[in-house]
This record gives sequence, structure tokens and C-alpha cells, in this order.
Amino acid sequence: MTLTPLNAVLFGVVLLLVVGFYGLLITRNLIKIVLVLQILVKAVVVALVLGGKASGNLGLGQSLAATVIVADTIVAVVALALAVQVRRRVGTLDLAKISSLRG
Amino acid sequence: MAAILIGLVIGLPWLGAIVIWRTTDDTPHLQHTLAVAFSIAAGLASLALIRFSSAETAISIPMGRYFGDLTFTADGLAVTLTAIACVIGSLAVIFSVDYMHGEGQLGRYYSFVLLFIGAMTGLLLSGNLLFMFFFWEITALCSYALISFYNDDPKAVAGGIKALIITQVGGVGLLAGALTTYSALGSYQVSDLIARAGTIPAGLLAVIAFGFLLAAAAKSAQFPFHTWLPDAMEAPTPISALIHAATMVNAGVYLLARFYPAFEHVPGWTMSVLMVGLITAFIAAVSALIATDLKRTLAYSTVSQLGYMVYAIGAGGVFASQFHLLSHAVFKALLFLAAGSVIHSIGTRDMRRMGGLGKRMPFVRNMFIVGALALAGVPILNGFWSKELILEVGLQGSPIWAYGLMLLGAGLTAFYTFRMVWLVFFGAERDQLHVHNAGSAMKVALGILAAGTFVTWLFFGGLNGLLASTLPFHEIEHESLMELVTAIPSAPATWLALLVVALGAGVSWVRVRGLRLFGGGWLDLLVETSFGFDSLNQTIAKGVNKLAGRLSFTQTGVLSWNVVGILGALLVVLIFLVWSA
Amino acid sequence: MNPTLFPWMIAVPLGVSPFVYLAGRLGSHKVELGGRSPFVRGLALLTMLATWVLFALSWAEFTSQNRSLLFHLDSIWLQADGISFLLAAMVLSLGTFVVLFSGPYIAGELGEEKYYAMLLAIIGIMVGLGSARDLFNLWMWFEAMAVSSYLLVAFYRERPTSLEAGMKYLVQSATGSVLVLLGIALILGTVGTLDMDQIRLAVASAASAPLPLLLAGALFVIGFGVKVAFVPLHTWLPDAHSQAPSGISAMLSGVVIEAGLIAMLRALSTLSGFSVSWGVLLLAFGALNMFFGNLMALRQTQIKRMLAYSSLSHIGYILIGLGIALSSGNPAGAQGAAFHLFNHMIMKGLAFLAAGALMYALLDQNGIHRPLEVNDLSGAAHKYPLAALALSIALLALGGLPPLAGFMSKWQIFVAGFQGANPWLMGLVIFAALNSVLSLAYYAPIVNMLYRRNMGEVVQGGARIPVAMSIPLVIFALAIVLIGLMPSLMNWLTEPAAQALLVMFGK
Repeated sequence: MTLTPLNAVLFGVVLLLVVGFYGLLITRNLIKIVLVLQILVKAVVVALVLGGKASGNLGLGQSLAATVIVADTIVAVVALALAVQVRRRVGTLDLAKISSLRG
Repeated sequence: MAAILIGLVIGLPWLGAIVIWRTTDDTPHLQHTLAVAFSIAAGLASLALIRFSSAETAISIPMGRYFGDLTFTADGLAVTLTAIACVIGSLAVIFSVDYMHGEGQLGRYYSFVLLFIGAMTGLLLSGNLLFMFFFWEITALCSYALISFYNDDPKAVAGGIKALIITQVGGVGLLAGALTTYSALGSYQVSDLIARAGTIPAGLLAVIAFGFLLAAAAKSAQFPFHTWLPDAMEAPTPISALIHAATMVNAGVYLLARFYPAFEHVPGWTMSVLMVGLITAFIAAVSALIATDLKRTLAYSTVSQLGYMVYAIGAGGVFASQFHLLSHAVFKALLFLAAGSVIHSIGTRDMRRMGGLGKRMPFVRNMFIVGALALAGVPILNGFWSKELILEVGLQGSPIWAYGLMLLGAGLTAFYTFRMVWLVFFGAERDQLHVHNAGSAMKVALGILAAGTFVTWLFFGGLNGLLASTLPFHEIEHESLMELVTAIPSAPATWLALLVVALGAGVSWVRVRGLRLFGGGWLDLLVETSFGFDSLNQTIAKGVNKLAGRLSFTQTGVLSWNVVGILGALLVVLIFLVWSA
Repeated sequence: MNPTLFPWMIAVPLGVSPFVYLAGRLGSHKVELGGRSPFVRGLALLTMLATWVLFALSWAEFTSQNRSLLFHLDSIWLQADGISFLLAAMVLSLGTFVVLFSGPYIAGELGEEKYYAMLLAIIGIMVGLGSARDLFNLWMWFEAMAVSSYLLVAFYRERPTSLEAGMKYLVQSATGSVLVLLGIALILGTVGTLDMDQIRLAVASAASAPLPLLLAGALFVIGFGVKVAFVPLHTWLPDAHSQAPSGISAMLSGVVIEAGLIAMLRALSTLSGFSVSWGVLLLAFGALNMFFGNLMALRQTQIKRMLAYSSLSHIGYILIGLGIALSSGNPAGAQGAAFHLFNHMIMKGLAFLAAGALMYALLDQNGIHRPLEVNDLSGAAHKYPLAALALSIALLALGGLPPLAGFMSKWQIFVAGFQGANPWLMGLVIFAALNSVLSLAYYAPIVNMLYRRNMGEVVQGGARIPVAMSIPLVIFALAIVLIGLMPSLMNWLTEPAAQALLVMFGK
């Protein structure tokens, strides 16, 4: 793989994804989970721009990326609101302590 | 005319079911009356239908591309069994008026009984395989609902669910057969399957044939699906008489009889049918020998007699099986209802606590004895003629060792029958039991059935003519009543059979007089686990539960594992796609 | 473009939603805590009725024109074909009755106005999801539906279990969305457009399957699959469906999962050009879902959790129907799947609503806030004959017993499986039929428990079930019986949907 700008960005996307999924697997703190999800979303945002550039449709790629940023901000807000409620009702942000539903 | 009667025979019970469902349980008198009225009306319609029986399709309603035409055909096979179902159905309902007196939730009881009768007749008259399956499933639903009628009793609930699951598994066989027929012939019509069976590729035909055998065996509680019927005895006794003696369990025999011409040339099929019947008849008779519960004994007896009918079909005697089905329905219903009178009166089903009841319930005792004589095959009752016919057919159409075993079975039948009679009605009273004689509704039902056992064999000629003329593919020989009456007593096989029966009765007399209940430790264990098959059932049920238990660990509640699941699945799917592209 | 009415089906509920919220907030200081906001409910119901009128008008337009309806706002195009109308019918049917049912159920709860607002919003969004024409638009509707559902699942925000369910659902669903977006990015990079028809054309001319498109397909299957509760992506479902308020559980099991399935099918159809066996993939997941769902349900003692697992297995049946249709081109499979989609909505909806009504009367009204167990229902039929009958009908229908609706749709799928005389498909159908039998092992005991003679303590202490809750039960129960006796009643809806599906996949 030659190190063209596109390939470098692609590598960046993959790196962000790996970091994001790894974080998702090991983190136990609710706020950190929201952060990790944001990392994944940023990876996707870059991927969209990259896709647009690769097919010559950069404008489309960029507008999609902007929309996704807005949309996932909303998701983050909702997630944080839930996290706040958890902290208030259960007193902790540790995922292991609020995992009571099983079977 | 046939079309109208068919509509009545299915529609009246269902209308009754809906009407009774709308009544409230604080009007039991109304519920009893409505149930009796609707069931008698259906019974009359079914008897009238016999006059109009023909091999032609009576009703045909297109139901759309995927379901074929909803057809009903009132040929001899169908109308005979329909009449049995409706007439005995109405007698069972009449009997219920006394038996269920004072019980709660009568609305649910009668609704399901009537729903059942309508569904049963629909099954018998149906000319479309998928709709036959439709009615088949409804009868299974009603059977389950009525077995577990006493919902507070966990044994009843367990019995109902067990019956449901086992018969449903068999039902998959019928479904597979119906669907395979459609895929091979493009039609769901019963008549098409019978007429064009030769054009179906051998492998597919075998699937259909054995699928139907599976369904029939499960429905009629034949080996290896015989485990549900004894547990179904938790149902109220009129239900045991109706569903588990006279109607629903006959559906399996009906299925085999109906499709015999289509499958008789499938390699191994007739032998399988024969073996299923033979094994069932034998092991059920042995089980009846040592059972201590009155209804269970009758249940085993039913299974055994059904085995005789299945054996007859396997040996090529479709008509003989139907003749015996008629006799059996009458005398077995009689026995169940008489037993019901006893149980209702003294409050227990355990024969070890009975004894000497004959003195205090003379009418019931006499009715029971009539039924017992018919069951054992004593001349001149209906059971004698039909059982001898089966044995004769067996002698001609099955291996000699099979015939020998069935003959032995007849002896065992006599043995357990007289044991039953003795234990309940004669000898010393073993327990202090309160006895009251049967109510008038019970007596009416019993009387009619007892008269029937003396009389139904006289319809031999008529039945034969009916079946021979309306079942073009079954190649039934025309025989008249005179032929029967002269042939049977003159055949040496008959005297051999009578000898065996007398032997059985004699042994029973000797052993039971000494109050020795036949059986030792190992035999008891064998019967209790239904010759190992109940333990097989239990193992399967436990295995499924254990698997489910192991799987519940996958729901860990831990988010990380859930995400692992997502990523892992992604990998698997990607590999699959790349590999298959 | 010709002015067309169907976008109003999306706009009306979505547009009224904020007003419902405002009305609720403005009126809240007048109504004391524990009272009801009838105005909010009434407005929501009126909105639903208006949307029904729009549905009828749009449907008339659709059948008269005999092709999909198109609408565009600048460059965003919406298209209503058979599948869109099927989804719209499902969403509107269930949604209307859930709004009615929720009246007493949610009355006086914290955040009542948010509930109705989000419910209306999600209804409009789902209709929109069914009408998307390009992949990104599809994703937007999908994401909007997801966000609304997060809030609805975690409605009882004072209860830790509810929050837990909502949190896990959010994280997993967001992961799925990320995967879908990656797939979209891949398609954008490879094909250059996101319009579904154009992608189909471009892909069809491709010689063999390029790796990026295969990866995109896998991402779509798994990404959307989280929402559709494919096993092993389903782990959020038992918690979310059992912790949500009963009306929302009904919506989730009855339409939200199904909307996710339709979104997935739309996305996958763009990649159907090369000979990848999407059908086989769906069949495999179908078999897995059926078996796993049934086995897990066997172990449950909580009614709502059991019903949630049951939804897994019914998605399995639908996937089998779809798989048969896609792998053999058989329209019967597609129609059976469409029919079962609709029937499952009614049956599962009724089951959750009936269970919810009983939970309301037995537990909530007495201030007990725990899940409803099977044992609580002992003898419930004496005190609540209507709810018990409705629940029994729903459960037996789900178990596939005639003469109820579930039997008919399963039957159609089974017929489709046998039509090609393919031994694998036939074996799979037998497996499905046996699974149906297995499911009776957990449905039947509940029915028995309802009709016991002696009432349990919980039943004895129960309160009344309000009329507003009983009406949906009656109507759905009647529908189940009617459809079971006359399955062709729903042909007008399922046939166009089946056709649209096969056209989409190029069969």
C-alpha cells in the first residue's frame, strides 16, 4: 500500500475504529463509554469524507459528515442524560454495579 | 342436501360453542340444556348424512392461492366416523349433565366439547389436506384444554401439556406430508393424492407416507407415542369417553385407512403399520394387566384395541378396521361412562380400594359387564364379530407369528377385562366407600350404548355396502351380513380365538379370586415408564430444559460481552460472504 | 412532481409532537400530581385519527396509480411502495391503540407529556423510514427512531433497572448505527452515490463482488441486525422490552424491530446485483433466532421477558420466509413473511397490552413496582375475564394454533418452503414447525394458570382494568380470530409488499 494522502486517512480511520472498539470492550465507566462512542462516530465521520473524496463526490461526503456530527451529538446528549440519572439514582457510574438484569 | 348436512354437522356444534361461551357460569341449567340440545342436533344431522353419502365432493370453496379449495366429501368412511363422533358426543354430553353437576366453569367445558365435536367432524369430512391439518390442530387444542380442565391440579395441567406436545409433534408429520403432496402434485385435495399417488417420485411419496404414519401414531397413542394417553386420564370422565375412546384417537386410524390405497405400495409402509399396531396392542395389553387405576386400565385397553385396528390396516383389511372401530367406539364409550358413574359415586379411581360394588350399583355393574363382554370378544356382542374379522384378515395378510401374537393379545384382553370387572364389582369390599347409584341422565346414556353393543354388528352389510360404493380406490369387497354370520362361526380361527379368550377369562378367574394382582417388581417398573418410552419423553424434556439453562448464561448482563457478540458476528458474516462469493 | 399526500403521514405526527409536549408542560402546573392530562391524550388520539385518514387517501392514490408514489423536498426524495404501506399500516394500527391504552397506564407519571410526544414522533419517523429512497436518508430515519426509542425505554427514570436497560440498549444500538454508517461510507467510496436505485444499477454491472461492497453488506447485516435482534446481537432486547412501559414494549416488539428489518432489507437490496446469497444468510439467522428465542423463553418466569424472547423467535420465522423468497425467488415466501410481520404486530401487541393491563391492575395500582410473574396470574380469569381471554388468544396465536392468525401466516411460509422441493428448505420448514410446537411449552402453562379455579393472592388484591385499556384488547383479539378464519383479508396489504420486496431484490 503506497502512502498516498487517501491511504493515510484510511489508516487513521481504521486506527480510530480499533481504539474505539477496544475502549468499548474494556471500559466500565458510563461517561467513558459515551466518550468511546464519540470516538467511533468521529471515525465514521472521517470515513464519510474519505468515501466522498475517493469517488469524486467530496461535497456529498462533507455534508453527510456534518449531518452525522449533529445527529450523534443528540445521541451523546441523551446518553449523558441517562448517565446523570444513573448517577443520581444508583450513586455510581460503574457499569458493573448497575448490571443486575441477566438470564 | 349433503352440503347442507355437512354444514350443520360442523356448524351446529360450533354455533353451540359460541352460544354457550356467551352464557355466564351462574346459569348452569341453561348451559347443560344448550349443550345437550346442540349436540343432539348435530347427532341427528350426522345420522341423516349417512343417507346422502357419496364419493363426490359435496362442498368446494376457493380459499386463495396458497390454501387450495376448502372441500368436504361425505363418503362412507367419513360419514361413519362422523356419525360415531356426533352420536357418542351427544351421549357424552347427556352423561355430563349428571357428572359435571355442581362443577364450576361449565361454560368453558361445554364450549370446548362442542368446539371439539365440530372440529372432529370437519377433520373427517375434509377433502383438503391442509384443512384436515387445520381441524387436526383444533382437536388437539380442545383435547389439551379439556385434559387440563381442572387447572388447579398440576397433574392435569402436566397431562394436558404432554398430550399437546406429543400430538403436535405428530402433527408436524401430517403437515410435512400435506406440503410435500402440494409440492409434488400442485394440489391439496385428498382425492388427488389417492388417485395420483403413483405419479409421485418414490422418495417424496415415502416422506408423505411415513409422515402420515407418524401423525396417526401420535394421535392414536400408538407406539412409540403411546405415553400421553394414560396421563390424559386426568380429564373429566365424559371427556375420556368422548375424546380418548370414541373420537379423537380414531383420527389416526382414520388417516391410515383413508390413505391406504395411496401408500400401500411404498416399500416398508404396510409392514411398519402392521408392526406399530402389533407392538402397541401387545404392550398396552400387558400394561392393562397390572394397572391399578380404573381409567388407566381402560386407557391402555383403548390403546391396545386401536393397535388391533392399525394392525388390520397393515394387513390390508381396511374394512375390518373400520368395523372394529365402530364396535370399539360403542363398547369403550360404554365402559368409560360406566366407570365414570362408579368414580363419580365413590370419589376414587383406585381399583384396590373398590370391590363388591356390584351389589350396591347393580345397573352400572350390568352395563359394565356388557361392555366388558364386548371388549373380550364374547359372542354375540359387536366386539366378537369385529375382532374375529380382524384376526381373520390378519391370518391372511400378515406373517403367522404376527397373527399368533395378536391371538395371544386377545387372550390377554379377556384376562385384564375380567380382572377389572372382578376387582370393581365383585368380591369383598376393600374400603368403606360411600356409594350412590347413577343419575337418570347417566342411565340413559349407558342404556343406549349397551343396546348398541348388541346391535351395531347387524349394520355390517350396510356399512360394507356404504364403504365399498363410496370409496373407489380402496377396493373393498362386497360382503353381506349373512356371509359374515356364516363365515365367522365356521372358521377354525374363530374357535381358536374363542378358546384363547376362554383361557384368558379362566386364568383371570383363578388368579383374581385369590386376589393376586398380577405383576412383579420389574413388570411394574416397565409399565410405569411405558416400556421405557416415558423415560425417553422425560429425557427429551429434561434435555431441552438443560440446554435452555446453559444458554441462559449468554444473557450475562455485562455490556462488554454483548459488544463481543456484535463484533464476533460481524466477522463470521464477513467470512461467510467472502467465502460464498 | 405531482402533489401527493403520503408525506403528510410522516409530517402530521412529527409536527404535532412538539405541540403535545408544550401543551403538557403548560397545563402541568394546573393538574395536581397524580391527576391526568386528558388534553394531551386527546390531542394525540386526534392526530392518530387524522393520520389514518391520510393513510386511506394515500392508499387510494397508490392503488389507482399502480406504482410507487414519489415526493421530493429539494434533493431529498421519498418513495411509498408496497413495503412502505405495510409498515405504515402496522405502525398506525399499533400506535393508535397504544396511545389509547397508555391513557390510564401513564396517567400521573413523571414526564407524561414527553411520553406522548415521543410516541407520536416515533410513529411519524417509522412511516418515514419506510419511505426512504437513499441510504443516508434511511440511516437518518433509523437513527431518529433509535433516539426516540431510547427515551421511551428509559421512561421510568427513577428505576435503576429501567435506566440499565436503556443504557445498554443505547450503547449497543449506537454501535450498530456506527457499523451501518461505515457501510454507507464504503458504498459512497466505491459507487459514488447513495441513491438506492442508482447503486443497484451500478452494482449490477459489476463483474464480481468487490471486497468493499461485501464488507458493506456484512456491516449492514450486523449494523441493522442489532436493532432487529439477530442472535447474537440481541442481548439488549430482553431488558429493554421488559423494562419499558407496556405500551412501549408492544411498540418495540411489534413495530420497531420490524422497521429495523425493513431498513436492513432496503439497504441490502442495493447490493443484490452480484450473486451473493443474502437469502442463505437470512435463513441461517432465522433458524438461529427461532431456536434460541424459544429455548430462552422456556426458562423465564417473568411474563414480559418471556414475550421479549418470543419476539426473537418470531423474527426468526419472518427471516425464514424472507430467506426462502430471496434464495428461491418464491413470492409465497415474501408474502408469508409480510403476513407474519403484520400478524406478529397484532399478536405480540395484544400480548404485551393484555399483560400490561393485568400488570397495571394487579401491581401498579397497588403501588408494587416489580415485573409481572407467571404465578401472579393464578386464577386471573375469574376477575379479569376479558384480559385473560385476550392474553390467551394472543399466546395461542403466537404458538401457531388454528383458528388464529399466527397459524395462517406460518402456514404460508411453510407452503413456500416446500414449493421448490429443495430438501434443505423442507428440512428447515420442519425445524420451524417443531419450534412452533416447542413454543407451546411455555405459552400453554400461562393459559392454564389464568384459568385456575382458585384466585391467587395477587389477583384477589387487584384493581379494575379501565375501559380505555380494554378496548384495544377486544379489537386486537377480534382481529386475530378474524384473520385466522379468513386469511385473505390481509391480501390487499401483503401482496403489494411482497411484490415490492422481490422487485427490490431484482427477482
